[in-house]
Amino acid sequence: MKAVFIVYNQALTERVAYMLERLQIRGFSQWPLVHGAGTNTGEPHMGSHTWPEMNTSVLTVVDDQLVPLILKYVEKLDNTNTANGIRAFVWQITDMY
Amino acid sequence: MSIYNTAVNKPISTMMVFLAIIVLGVFSYIQLPVDQFPKMDPPYITVMASYPGANAQEIEENVTKILENQMNSVDKLKEMTSTSYDNVGVVTLEFQWEANIDEASNDVRDAVDKSMSALPDDIDRPTIMRFSTSMMPILVYAVTAEESYPGIDRILDEKLISNLNRIDGVGSVNLGGTPQRVIYVDLDPNKLDAYNLTLEQISNKILAENRDISTGSVKMGQSDYAMRVEGEFSESAEIKNIVLGTVNGKTLFLQDVASVRDTIKDITMEQTIDRHKGLVLIVTKQTDANAIEVATEAKKIIEKAKSQLPPDIKFQIISDNSDFIVKSVNNLQETLLYALVFVVMIVFLFLGRWRATFIIALTIPISLIVAFIYLFITDETLNIISLSSLSIAIGMVVDDAIVVLENITKHVDRGSRPREAAKYGTNEVWLSVIVTTLVTVAVFFPLTMVTGLTGVIFKQLGWIVCITICTSTATAISLTPMLSSQFLRIQEKTEKFTFYNFVTGMLDRLDAWFERVIRWSLRHKTFIILSMTAVFVCSMLLTRVIKIDFMPQNDESYMTVYAKMQTGQRVEITKKIALELDSVFRAEIPEIRILNVSYGSEEEAGFASMMNTTGNNVMNMRIRVHEIADRDRSIFEIAAQARQILARYPDFLESRVSTGSGGFGGSNSVDIEITGHDFNTTSALAQRIATQARQIPGARDVTISRDNDKAELQITLNRDKLALHGLTTAEVGSVVRNRIYGSRNSKFKESGEEYDIIVRLQEKYRTSLTEVENFLITDAFGKKVRLKELGEIKEYFSPPNIERKSKQRMLSVSITPGLGVSLGEIATASQQLIDNLEDVPQDVALYVGGTWEDQQESNQSLMMLLALSLMLVYIVMAAEFESFKMPFIIMLSIPFAFSGVIIALLLTGTTLSMVAMLGAVMLVGIVTKNGIVLIDFINLMRERGIRLYDAIAQACRSRLRPVLMTSLTTILGMVPMAVSGGEGAETWRPMGIAVIGGMVFSTVITLVIVPVVYAAMDKSGSRDKKKAASKQYVFMRDFDPERDLPKNIAK
Repeated sequence: MKAVFIVYNQALTERVAYMLERLQIRGFSQWPLVHGAGTNTGEPHMGSHTWPEMNTSVLTVVDDQLVPLILKYVEKLDNTNTANGIRAFVWQITDMY
Repeated sequence: MSIYNTAVNKPISTMMVFLAIIVLGVFSYIQLPVDQFPKMDPPYITVMASYPGANAQEIEENVTKILENQMNSVDKLKEMTSTSYDNVGVVTLEFQWEANIDEASNDVRDAVDKSMSALPDDIDRPTIMRFSTSMMPILVYAVTAEESYPGIDRILDEKLISNLNRIDGVGSVNLGGTPQRVIYVDLDPNKLDAYNLTLEQISNKILAENRDISTGSVKMGQSDYAMRVEGEFSESAEIKNIVLGTVNGKTLFLQDVASVRDTIKDITMEQTIDRHKGLVLIVTKQTDANAIEVATEAKKIIEKAKSQLPPDIKFQIISDNSDFIVKSVNNLQETLLYALVFVVMIVFLFLGRWRATFIIALTIPISLIVAFIYLFITDETLNIISLSSLSIAIGMVVDDAIVVLENITKHVDRGSRPREAAKYGTNEVWLSVIVTTLVTVAVFFPLTMVTGLTGVIFKQLGWIVCITICTSTATAISLTPMLSSQFLRIQEKTEKFTFYNFVTGMLDRLDAWFERVIRWSLRHKTFIILSMTAVFVCSMLLTRVIKIDFMPQNDESYMTVYAKMQTGQRVEITKKIALELDSVFRAEIPEIRILNVSYGSEEEAGFASMMNTTGNNVMNMRIRVHEIADRDRSIFEIAAQARQILARYPDFLESRVSTGSGGFGGSNSVDIEITGHDFNTTSALAQRIATQARQIPGARDVTISRDNDKAELQITLNRDKLALHGLTTAEVGSVVRNRIYGSRNSKFKESGEEYDIIVRLQEKYRTSLTEVENFLITDAFGKKVRLKELGEIKEYFSPPNIERKSKQRMLSVSITPGLGVSLGEIATASQQLIDNLEDVPQDVALYVGGTWEDQQESNQSLMMLLALSLMLVYIVMAAEFESFKMPFIIMLSIPFAFSGVIIALLLTGTTLSMVAMLGAVMLVGIVTKNGIVLIDFINLMRERGIRLYDAIAQACRSRLRPVLMTSLTTILGMVPMAVSGGEGAETWRPMGIAVIGGMVFSTVITLVIVPVVYAAMDKSGSRDKKKAASKQYVFMRDFDPERDLPKNIAK
């Protein structure tokens, strides 16, 4: 099992939801509003007067086989619209209840 | 912090807020006065101008027309009618209901001022009266007396009437048919001639003798004495001893040429009460006074006065408006209590838990009490309309509380602590509760904007329902969660038999059965939709059979009979027939309690006698029958029998039996109005129409508003001869008047009262044409001439009154529908009659009006109201569901509600009256609720991804209980209204029947048709949505679940 942390401009919320639905991923946790900024080129999304935009993040724990699929479509989604950034990060899950 | 959180966290504060509301409400309720209808100021102004000596035609030409022309331009005038009588012209102005009557009467006063210059010089200043229904008598007493009869008016005046007039709110106190004391001096013309005296000399002699003259003061020594000549008669016997002069050395007394009688006036208007001599005491109230208060106070005073009056004077109530009002309001309050019991029972039946039932039942009194506060603040009364509004609201106010409580119970059953369950349970449903309330408000709020007569009723209904519903919502999201958090207990599931388990078991079986029905219907959509459409069309066809009426008539245990005989008939003949009819009535109608007959007319044409249409040839009866509980037949059946009795008498040219004492629904008639200038053509046409109208099945009491031409005698004087004798028309006229009518220039005074001394010829010398022709008139040269030498007397006919409407001469044939016949049928038949009428003269216009016209007007405003309600409901729902389609599906239940109304009315034989139609309009708001609950849940299930048919079936199964529960509370809340039979029940019964019929029918149909239509309309919609989504998200177009998903994950 792997944990995939997807963080994206909140304007992409519906597309990410659609992606998860198509990939038949049911379980996830979502923070609808988070602050953050990309490491290299990303504009800060701080929900302030200066940086008004906001990010959303999703953490989903999936089967190892699904990880490449998720990363593939996250990348595709990022490429369709570079102004709205999206990144995915993967962890190893060691234990589970 | 949300309202329900605050309420749950601060139970004591919440309780205190509601306690404050209850205290205020109870206080308001105690203070609320009781009345029959909401306050209304009917927009009528009457202008009355008297011009003595002119006949109707002269009045029309010189008075009425001039006034009409000036007043035609008054602002907001709706209709102007006028009647010209002999001596008096009356113009009645009807204003639009929204007109400010104070401003209007100022305008009218200005118009009268302007017209003064054009009116005849010697006319009295026209009187402006504001007429309103509340000027109608509230109390009519029959007063009988034996020994005290001759002086009864003085006795009553001193001991009673002055006290009655002092009551706050009394408009006037009138005595009808009082005997009047007069002193007649009847002269013998032959003796006058012999002694060379004239009537005028004697009259002046009496005036000259009957004098007190102050002669100044005489100063004697230190004192100053006032000096007077005292000549006034101290007793009537003195009159006959007046010395007229000396003839041949003998003194000539008045009694030598005349007989002097101190007596009661010759009969003019007489009243009998159950064959006893008596009179009628009428108490009217001021427009803004409260009928009940005035009547109670007046009754108290009459009771007190009884001890001071001679024992032979007895009082009996003929008509007591206040009694009827009190009884019907009490009746309605009882109905309200029953409704409350029924609603609570239904809630208990469905919930099976007494704690929950108590919490819900508590919202009822709180919501109703707020309505009392509203009534108190707006200075309104506890009346039939406000109470029926509460009756309508009672079934609806529990709905919100039920929804909230149900959700809280669900959480409690799952194991939440009541405190948390109350907070989160309310949080989940509070929005949808507010939206359903908005839908109801959308229907009832437009009611507050209706104008006109119907507006008076609807305004209060609209406000009360809106206020109670909004209060109930507020209660549902504050008090209900608070009480739930305090009272609800986690119930252990037990296997042993309890009421709760029993009810739940039954309901579960019902739910399962209903789900099967829905699944079957979903497979037979076309059949269901087609058959429902057929049902609707069939029921609409039934509307042709249904009878249409304006306002249901009330059984007030009181009726009046009016009968007119040959014009010009002597009052003695009228008396004979009236007394005979009196005996027949009392012999054949066992229900009669008091019968008061009056006939003849009072000489001084007062306003009151004009309204009641009295005359020497007219007989009026007031009949009071036993209370509703003590008799089997309704007043309408008794009236029908009275009509049959009247029909046996050929003497009656016209007769009318009316039930009820005025106000709303007092008279129901169709008037065929005939407009045209020429009297003969229009009268003949009216006769023809009346003859044909009597053939209309169900037509009763066909009357023509214009009396038959009245025979008049006219003295035409020859001006040449007048000149020869040095006389003028005025002189001759006054001489003739003095001989017949009498010269009344002096009054006899006794104990502060004045009585006319009437000097005229003895009766036998003034009752034939020959005698009149032989009147002796002294000319300018002191010679005597006979009247016949100056001119001739001719007989001719003149119309006794001239009615005009919108400045045109008009007369109307009015038709009252008989028992079981509706106004609509008569109106249709009348219209046909007019259409088929042959050779109608060119310049005559015919028109069907009367109560029928008012009915059409209020129908129009009801239709507007319906359209407005439908639109608002659509708007609210479209906003709620974010869809154009859903409101349409929900509103499908509305036509079936109308089908239900029609079927219910037909089954119970009720007419479609304004009240029933109002019920139908209200249904728009009530029945859509069911659809909302269903659709809302189906949508929810769909969004959770359940397949269409399953979603519908499951939603229907789970929503059946709330739908049945809210519908049943509304239906059973109305049942007491629909079946009550006491005083005043006729007014609101149709509303109860309409709402119950529409509700039952539409609930049953809604439960099937809404899911079916939903399925039919939604299918394509969802599939389209999926396609649209895949088109939109291009980045995943190459994804194929079959190929790409790992095998162990792909389903």
